[in-house]
Amino acid sequence: MGTRKKNRNVGVIGVGQTKHSSHREDVNQPEMLHEAVREALDDAGLAMDDVDCIVHGNMELFEMVHQPDLWHALGSGAPGKSAFRLTTGGTTGATLFCAADSLVASGMYDVVLAVGFEKLQEGHTTGGITNMADPLWFRSLQTGALTGTCAYDVIQEFGEERAQKAAMIYRIIMDQHACLNPKAHRAFGLEFDQMDHLIQSSARLIGELKIIDMCSQSDGACAVILASEERAKRAKQKPVWVRDHITVHREETFNILGYDEATAEEKTHKVAARELFKRNGITNPLEYFDVFEMYDPSSWWGLDWLREFFLLEGDEHLRLVENHEIGLNGKIPINPSGGVIASNPIGATALVRPAEAALQVRGNAGPHQIPRPVNHALASGFGGTMWTVLIMLEKELDWQEV
Amino acid sequence: MSEKFGVKVEEIFDTMPERFRPEGAEGVDASFGYDITGRGKWKLTVKDKAMSIEKTEDLAGCVVVTRAAPDTFVGVSIGKVDGTEAFTSGKIAVEGDIGALGLTFKLFKRFTPPQKELTVREYILDMFGTLESRFQPQAAGDSRIVICYDIGGKDGGQWTAVIENGTCKLAEGLDPSPSLTLAMKAKDWVDLMLGRVDALTLLSTARAKLEGDMALAMRLGELFAKYAPPGQEVVEDEELLVLKKVISVQQRFATGPVMGKYLNGLKEKKIFGNRCPECKRLQIPPREVCAVCRIRVEAFEEVGPKGNIRLLDTAYYASPDPLTGETRETPYAMAYILLDGCKGQEVFAHFIRDDQIDRIDMGWNEKKGTIVRPVWAEERKGKVTDIRYYEIDE
Repeated sequence: MGTRKKNRNVGVIGVGQTKHSSHREDVNQPEMLHEAVREALDDAGLAMDDVDCIVHGNMELFEMVHQPDLWHALGSGAPGKSAFRLTTGGTTGATLFCAADSLVASGMYDVVLAVGFEKLQEGHTTGGITNMADPLWFRSLQTGALTGTCAYDVIQEFGEERAQKAAMIYRIIMDQHACLNPKAHRAFGLEFDQMDHLIQSSARLIGELKIIDMCSQSDGACAVILASEERAKRAKQKPVWVRDHITVHREETFNILGYDEATAEEKTHKVAARELFKRNGITNPLEYFDVFEMYDPSSWWGLDWLREFFLLEGDEHLRLVENHEIGLNGKIPINPSGGVIASNPIGATALVRPAEAALQVRGNAGPHQIPRPVNHALASGFGGTMWTVLIMLEKELDWQEV
Repeated sequence: MSEKFGVKVEEIFDTMPERFRPEGAEGVDASFGYDITGRGKWKLTVKDKAMSIEKTEDLAGCVVVTRAAPDTFVGVSIGKVDGTEAFTSGKIAVEGDIGALGLTFKLFKRFTPPQKELTVREYILDMFGTLESRFQPQAAGDSRIVICYDIGGKDGGQWTAVIENGTCKLAEGLDPSPSLTLAMKAKDWVDLMLGRVDALTLLSTARAKLEGDMALAMRLGELFAKYAPPGQEVVEDEELLVLKKVISVQQRFATGPVMGKYLNGLKEKKIFGNRCPECKRLQIPPREVCAVCRIRVEAFEEVGPKGNIRLLDTAYYASPDPLTGETRETPYAMAYILLDGCKGQEVFAHFIRDDQIDRIDMGWNEKKGTIVRPVWAEERKGKVTDIRYYEIDE
């Protein structure tokens, strides 16, 4: 896998988000998009004229608009500038971030604005997702974004009771975080004494995946402004530096569910994490990172993927959750924002991850700020079929090149 | 409460002293009469920025007398009826110095009905008491619908609504064979009906349970008009303009020779994979190249058609089939099957016969799962539906 070659350093200098919610019928798409763009510009202390290039993205055809970047031009500020549109499924937001970083790092542009959005109420999520599958065969079979396979795996490995409890602890901690985040869509106020009741009674969607476990369908947008080191150092707020990022794709197949350990394929999350940490000289990611904003589509995936991303063994990931080490005061706070289970405007979701991670590093995330210094942050994107984007952010430009 | 707006005529007069605005009474020195049909007469006297109100038979000495029906008077007083319109249409009659009536407009703060919060039990009784009258026959269609309401807690109760022939009848108790059962606590039901909590939150947090016809559950909001507490009108949200569009597109996808051979095989009840010459893995459906080895794959092999189940993913959620728009019957299950001649991860996905879902075992490493066989369609067209589903091989 190729190594990182950056022509110059890049910093995050502005972050903006809408309040994510189930309906935004009070605004049209460009208007909603602009709320995030405006907040990011204000955050960076910039005017639209200061931005050189726009990178725009969302889920292809979820709202059945072929060229939304055209309709959105007024909201995104694209007229008269360079503009790109990207759409890579669930990872779209993370891809926007990586593309903006690459455009600045290359020297092509000094200031690039990445903006992702989704108005799921205006289209059909399951219809959209099903249309991603190969139309010749798999489209007729697949069940949309819902699958119970991950819950089945965790239960097989760790037993029904322990697995169910760990997934529900994960879920409740995410909800507690969401309750602190004013931008979060769903914040229920779940308590730990509800655990058994929720495990027993929450309606099952597919397999052991329950409605309480699954991410929301949200309307919302997110914008992030990235700038060259020279420009970033003159910004209104202290920049957060983009150290590295990696994307790992795989073929569009589903032949990974044979349940045969001898031939099991490594998940793209693990491949991405191992490569990224290796080329940055990080031997113990759990010790190194102070926060991880993970794309967690359900509590089962969130729980399971901790092991992949932090290269853990055995039940280490379960113990992190069981001991509440993923809370704001824990060893490795996961999703102080409440994560994807709380808010999921899909085309923006994977951009919210590095955006929220950057806010944590900057130290002014708001009520969900981690109470101790955050120097090193990790953020991930996830998309179909099973691919990964992983991003590293730093507070200081003091890392050692490997 | 006798009046349309849930406010008694007496309340309007009785609250006048506390609603009085001395600053609005500057220079007013007069008596004003009110004659409310069937309720009596009142005399309001204002002098030196002070007021008094009395119920009386004698309206002599009033500069102006206002006559109105109780509903009109209350409606105008609380801002629900336009005063000018009521006057123009004759619903309010004024006798005497019409100009002087204008003086009274600044005398009082508007009457706001006291917010009498009902108890949970009172709400429950009112909500079910008004259910039949809130029924919307035009949304019901022709089929018979039976909805059971299992409302828990000391304030709850059990009711069944039977909808047929354009009518809705509510009875106590639960019908044994409902189309849909809604179960939740009384407090949650009240909050849901009053719009204080949304249904998805209740379902997600397991505070509400739905059993039966999910598509019907989605339509409950159309079957019954929105509930409004006694004496209040339904407050419709301000209407936002939303454009509705339905897109339907005919699509044709070329299969190419490799997928074409595979799909053609189905017509002959044959399932083909193709094996990578480098890593030796078998691909089903076959593909032009091995994505891992980046090499052309040409050697086809027939596999199956029987196999053992490795994973069964059972869907309970009634998602619409995006290809047809029809809501799928639940539960249904998709299986990953290791066909005879395949190993490791070389699985094949298809549906399992609905009535056999509960009898399927899943394999793990050496352990085999339930052996299944395909049920072929009579007429095969080279499509995924040439296999109707897999069933247990017994």
